[in-house]
Amino acid sequence: MKSCLTKWSFSLFLVFGFFLTASAQKMVSGKITDASNGEALIGANVLVKGSDSGTITDIDGTYSLKASQGDVLVFSYAGYTDQEIVVGSSTTVNVALEAGKLLDEVVVVGYGTQREKEITSAVVSVSRENFNQGPISDPAQLLQGKVSGLQIYNRGGDPNRASVIRMRGISTVGANVEPLVVVDGIIGASLQNVDPNDIESIDVLKDGSAAAIYGSRGSSGVIIVTTKRGSKGGVKLSYSGQFGASSAMRGINIMTADEFVAAGGTNLGSKTDWINEVTQTGLNQVHSISADGGSGSTSYRISANLRQVDGILKNSGFDQLNTRLNLTTKALNDKLTIDFNTSFTERDQEFGFNEALRYAIMYNPTAPVYGDQSPFPFNSAQFGGYFESLGLFDSFNPVSIINQNKNTGKRREFNYGANLGYKVTDNLTANFRVAQQSNSFSTRAYYPTTSHFRGNATSPIRKGRADLYSGDSAFKLYEAYATHLSDFGNSTLTLTGGYSFQQNNFQSNYLSLGDFPNNDIDFINNIEASQDLLKAGLISANSDQSPDEKIIAFFGRANFTYDDAIFVNASLRREGSTKLGEDNKWGLFPSLGVGVDLNKYAKLSNVDLLKIRAGYGVTGALPGQNGLSKPIRGIVNGADGSVTTQLIRAANPNLKWEEKAEINVGLEFASGRFSGTLDVYTRNIKDFILERTVDVAEFGVDRRYENAGKLSTKGLELALNYDVAQGDEFSYTTGVVFSTYKTTLDEYVIPAEMRASLGAPGQNGTNMILVKEGAEIGQIWGPVYSSVDDKGSPVFVDVNGDGKLVTGQDKALEPDVDFEVLGKGIPDFELGWTNRVNVSGWSINAFFRGAFGHSLVNSFRAFYEPQISTQSSYNFMNTSLKVDGLSTARFSSLYVEKADFFKLDNLSISRQISLGDFKAINNLNVSLTGQNLFVLSKYTGSDPEPSLVDYGSADNGANESGSADVLSPGIDRRNNYFSARTVTLGLNFNF
Amino acid sequence: MKNIGKYLVYPCILLAFSACTDLEEKLKGDITDDINIPGISTGGGGGGSDVLNAAFSELRNSGTANHGAYYSVQEITSDEMCIAAKGGDWFDGGILIDLHKHTYKPTHDFVKNTWNGTYNGINTCNELLAKATLDDNQKAQTRALRAYFYMRLMDLYGNVKIITAPGGNAPQSKRADVYKFVENELLASLGITAVTQGMDLSNSALGTANNPYRINRYAAMGLLAKLYLNSEVYTGTAAYDKAAIAAGYVIDSGVYQLCGKGCKVTNLGRRPAVSSDPAELEGFAAVFAPNNANNPEHVFTVLYDEVSAGGMNFSQMNLHYSSQFTWNFQDQPWNGYATLEEFYNSFEDKDERKKASFIAGPQLDFGGSAVLDYASDDGNLVLDYTPKINEIAPNSLRQAGARPGKFSFKQFGRPDMDNDYPIVRLGELYLIRGEALARAAGNWNASLPDVNVVRARAGVAAFTAVTADQFLAERGREMFQEGVRRTDLIRFGKYNAAWWEKPVSPAYVNIFPIPQEQINASGGTLVQNPGY
Repeated sequence: MKSCLTKWSFSLFLVFGFFLTASAQKMVSGKITDASNGEALIGANVLVKGSDSGTITDIDGTYSLKASQGDVLVFSYAGYTDQEIVVGSSTTVNVALEAGKLLDEVVVVGYGTQREKEITSAVVSVSRENFNQGPISDPAQLLQGKVSGLQIYNRGGDPNRASVIRMRGISTVGANVEPLVVVDGIIGASLQNVDPNDIESIDVLKDGSAAAIYGSRGSSGVIIVTTKRGSKGGVKLSYSGQFGASSAMRGINIMTADEFVAAGGTNLGSKTDWINEVTQTGLNQVHSISADGGSGSTSYRISANLRQVDGILKNSGFDQLNTRLNLTTKALNDKLTIDFNTSFTERDQEFGFNEALRYAIMYNPTAPVYGDQSPFPFNSAQFGGYFESLGLFDSFNPVSIINQNKNTGKRREFNYGANLGYKVTDNLTANFRVAQQSNSFSTRAYYPTTSHFRGNATSPIRKGRADLYSGDSAFKLYEAYATHLSDFGNSTLTLTGGYSFQQNNFQSNYLSLGDFPNNDIDFINNIEASQDLLKAGLISANSDQSPDEKIIAFFGRANFTYDDAIFVNASLRREGSTKLGEDNKWGLFPSLGVGVDLNKYAKLSNVDLLKIRAGYGVTGALPGQNGLSKPIRGIVNGADGSVTTQLIRAANPNLKWEEKAEINVGLEFASGRFSGTLDVYTRNIKDFILERTVDVAEFGVDRRYENAGKLSTKGLELALNYDVAQGDEFSYTTGVVFSTYKTTLDEYVIPAEMRASLGAPGQNGTNMILVKEGAEIGQIWGPVYSSVDDKGSPVFVDVNGDGKLVTGQDKALEPDVDFEVLGKGIPDFELGWTNRVNVSGWSINAFFRGAFGHSLVNSFRAFYEPQISTQSSYNFMNTSLKVDGLSTARFSSLYVEKADFFKLDNLSISRQISLGDFKAINNLNVSLTGQNLFVLSKYTGSDPEPSLVDYGSADNGANESGSADVLSPGIDRRNNYFSARTVTLGLNFNF
Repeated sequence: MKNIGKYLVYPCILLAFSACTDLEEKLKGDITDDINIPGISTGGGGGGSDVLNAAFSELRNSGTANHGAYYSVQEITSDEMCIAAKGGDWFDGGILIDLHKHTYKPTHDFVKNTWNGTYNGINTCNELLAKATLDDNQKAQTRALRAYFYMRLMDLYGNVKIITAPGGNAPQSKRADVYKFVENELLASLGITAVTQGMDLSNSALGTANNPYRINRYAAMGLLAKLYLNSEVYTGTAAYDKAAIAAGYVIDSGVYQLCGKGCKVTNLGRRPAVSSDPAELEGFAAVFAPNNANNPEHVFTVLYDEVSAGGMNFSQMNLHYSSQFTWNFQDQPWNGYATLEEFYNSFEDKDERKKASFIAGPQLDFGGSAVLDYASDDGNLVLDYTPKINEIAPNSLRQAGARPGKFSFKQFGRPDMDNDYPIVRLGELYLIRGEALARAAGNWNASLPDVNVVRARAGVAAFTAVTADQFLAERGREMFQEGVRRTDLIRFGKYNAAWWEKPVSPAYVNIFPIPQEQINASGGTLVQNPGY
């Protein structure tokens, strides 16, 4: 790395030295603004008339170029009327352009910006006013439902869990499936370190031809976040505050104490509403203060955001403080633009225990909360005063779980990025970027000696447990690229070329130990008291450090525009990664896109825009783990102190890039008040990197990582907007985004397999998801329920009608099995419907969202709805789908429910308040926002939103595994958080 | 000027960074071949130098005494154990019932785990032989251990690939050829070409010192005895004479003694408040106790230890949740394996092996009070393991079935148990010799001298005459829970018979299916066994 840095500084020096000597001429500069509102116009054209010399404005709307006195400067911007100004003696020429008929927005693409009309790929730009409203902590949530083809789901309302994000569905089986995030030009930046209140706009690159410039990490789409920047002028202070309250929104139907006893449940004499005992109204507040301003060639924006969120599960939530500074300054006769951004986030998390919600559902409703109300002699002191039903598998008093145990975390993120843009000539700009990001996290879970849940209170010898996990990671980015613009009269050519170096490192430590003396203090802060330290083999400890994970790339792009109506974009990225096999480290990622403004030639009346575009691009995907191509060995410690090793994973030096090729065809249309965009695409993904079964006789172990499989997705996305009314007193705009796709697994490592075990008790071997070559992803596969027999067992349908009932789980893949597809985990289509109404100073924003065609396995019902005599100490589910008399729990169609839903996701009403002569505060805006106000769905579980990944079943107090299975969508597990309804009062003003 | 700028900048940038293209991956948190020669002992902090540790530990990894692999497929398929579905609990997609009723398929997880685990063991042996510096004794031990892994594969799956070098591949061998390979390897380790009366083992690289965790001449001879006893099943040709000679060699060596009167260990499971708990375990019970290391009957055992050699999880798998309070277990048990009533009843009450083998009847906790099951399904809160199992599915009672407890439990036990697990022990060798002599003679009474040795140790009267069925029952009582019952039932032609809820099964199930995953991964080099 040292050698790279040295080269880097040397190069910087060399290039600048050259530029300094090369530029000693008079410059004309200024700012181009929108005449109607004074806002900067980004990417506006400035040309010296009659020459090929010209430039475009930067992100602040400023430009500078060389010109002589008497030259005529032509200022143009799509959608605005051109202006010509003769250069006089002044070196500053500011221009305010009048809007033309149609606004042409600038879109941030990889390593630059483009006018929207020049874009030849599926790119969607969402600006601040279109974001979802309310106390949103996760920036991804700003976009939920707003971009067709971008799926964002956060099942339940767990404030500490990030959303699952999918671009056009699953893009890879084995590798990283989340979109690449670019914040202010920094690739791979963390979305966690950006406060939603600091975001100006988000651009989403959906298809391969747009993302190919990002190469290896673009396969799952790219989300480009642009933060707010300062504007010139005096200091402007603004405040934004939100105060909200959340409550659990959809109840789960379980039996009350009386119903439970009537149904034959074991009566322990009390009546306890366990869900009520563990949930609360979660209060949350957000305060954001920002200051921005600027003078001369410098502008800045500083902000601080404070968030306090309490979850609807008692003792869950977080406090977060985020600060950000964005600074822009110019030097060297305005030829050098320096952008500097830095941000710091600290989050104190109280994760709580989602398991408490699970046990609240299944715990005996006649059990008392406290042991002194036990119907039989019970030593409640041993359990901290709480009652516990001992001798039962997977049964813990949920109130004890949340009150006795602690599960907390702290996360710090810091990053900075500096971008140096140097205008070498009017047509040539060189950019250098340095960015670093570091984050650290630590989690601490403590289970005191009296906790039955993980604290092992029943154990006579080893009570109490402390888990400590911490780590940090560091990311470095160095990039250099140059952009050259050639103007040939009626055509322009923009060339971009550069180099990118990325390096990531992380390390982590984990320690778990127990056997603490008592509960006088929290011994997690005093682990030296653990008696595990005196005994061999009880402490669990591990640590890890990554190798230098490097990605190195060379890239180039050409954008050609002819007649301002025909657009061609092509790019090529050659990229290498440390993570791949010795022989296949480098990959090549090309793209080509063509767009035509048809109406320029067709000149249809009443049509403002008719553009067709097509793009093709290849992107890659990298695995998250290291060392996949290497043989990995495990240590075997002998009792005599000897150390030997065993092979645990076989090598594969041929491991190569996973590759996605995508074709996208789009149509953009606008006529009067109506506008729309239609995209259709097909994408083929091959050579997934995944762990594959190999011949154990040959390789010594049965697993290694290989490239295998093909996945194809075909999809359609539609966005429509209509201005229903456009009056001063009343305006109404409505818009719909619609998306649908189908993903087929064309080839896989084996012809078919079953995944996703339902779990314990008793349904461990019950895998529910069929993964099969030639079939769609996400099929729920199992027997079809028909009736209940006199023993209380379910009777299944002879699906194939051969007179023989084959329903054993290990026969799931046999040709004569009587299983069928019971549902799909992935929706057929998704819909977002935006409505914005302005009436007499009131703004109303109503956003509806729905997903249709997907199903969910309702795990709670599958385990606890049958009234099993041997499980009469668990509560029973009591939904409308319950079958009376069923007393055996066996997975079947009975527990697979259609989960179509349509919801009022977000309703916001706001008003600008005039304070008359009170000038200390201006632009006061008050809003009231409701999230999840109503949900229409027949699903009987807590949350009908699709479950795109599966974290598996975690039973009997076991910790949930961290790995998410993307091939097993459609399972509503028992550890899910409940979804929440939130109402928020918002206040914004400047002062 | 402009043009110069244009043409200089790109190459300048590209040149400056073209050197930064080193993408070698240097792992820091994992052990790869680069930094560790496979199988070589590095001494470690304890100063040990046991090169063979990795290879012998594979006996544990392949499931010799834990749920989910070798032990499970050998035991649940037999008439001595089952895992019944208790409501939803332990149904697990029916795979446990499939084992007991012999309706297993190539996708069965346990069948797959057993195959993979056994080949893992073979690979570790192959790596040792190929890459480590071993003396002749270590080489002979490693080859004999590898032969034992192949013996298991042959017994379970019939036709398998014989791989003798890491990374190598080979066509699938016939069962008889695998048999021949196993025999030759064991003979080679013993320095002989055939097992004969008066054979001379002086050329053997194996030692004679008693170390049951490793393979000496007696252990290798014991493995041969087990192999020859089943020769007729494996090859169609009997080798009972050789089985008798091999077993007799170990018995007559005098190195090992049956653990009878006076052979005792402290009872680590004792509850001071329960007067019926003895202070010591004597005789048969001592052979399998948590502190059974160095028992004089052990010829070859798998080391288990709660700290350094984990994996034996019978307490977790066999006992009811509430039995935690009898032994003060660190973790709550899971209520899985139980003994079939008919098998339990095959023991006379005075048979010492009955008490030593089962946990049955009403249970008392550490303080001597009744253990309660608040979720009881029979109306009685007291935990009482009844010999009768009402049904295998769907609603077997939670406390139905006597629980296997031969590898007995210690107070304050961890989920990983300490009991060493015998592969070859003297008690079985008597039964092998007796059976081999009887089969060779065509007269079961020829087994009487040997079978009565183990009966005498168990405190039951000697047989005066014995039939095949009686011999099998005797073998069942002696060898319960030692992972041999499936093989025994096949040899006695009883595996396909009906018992309890298990119907008659077809003959092809005597050989397990080759795991489907492995057939798929083998690229056509593995052919499925007939019937599947």
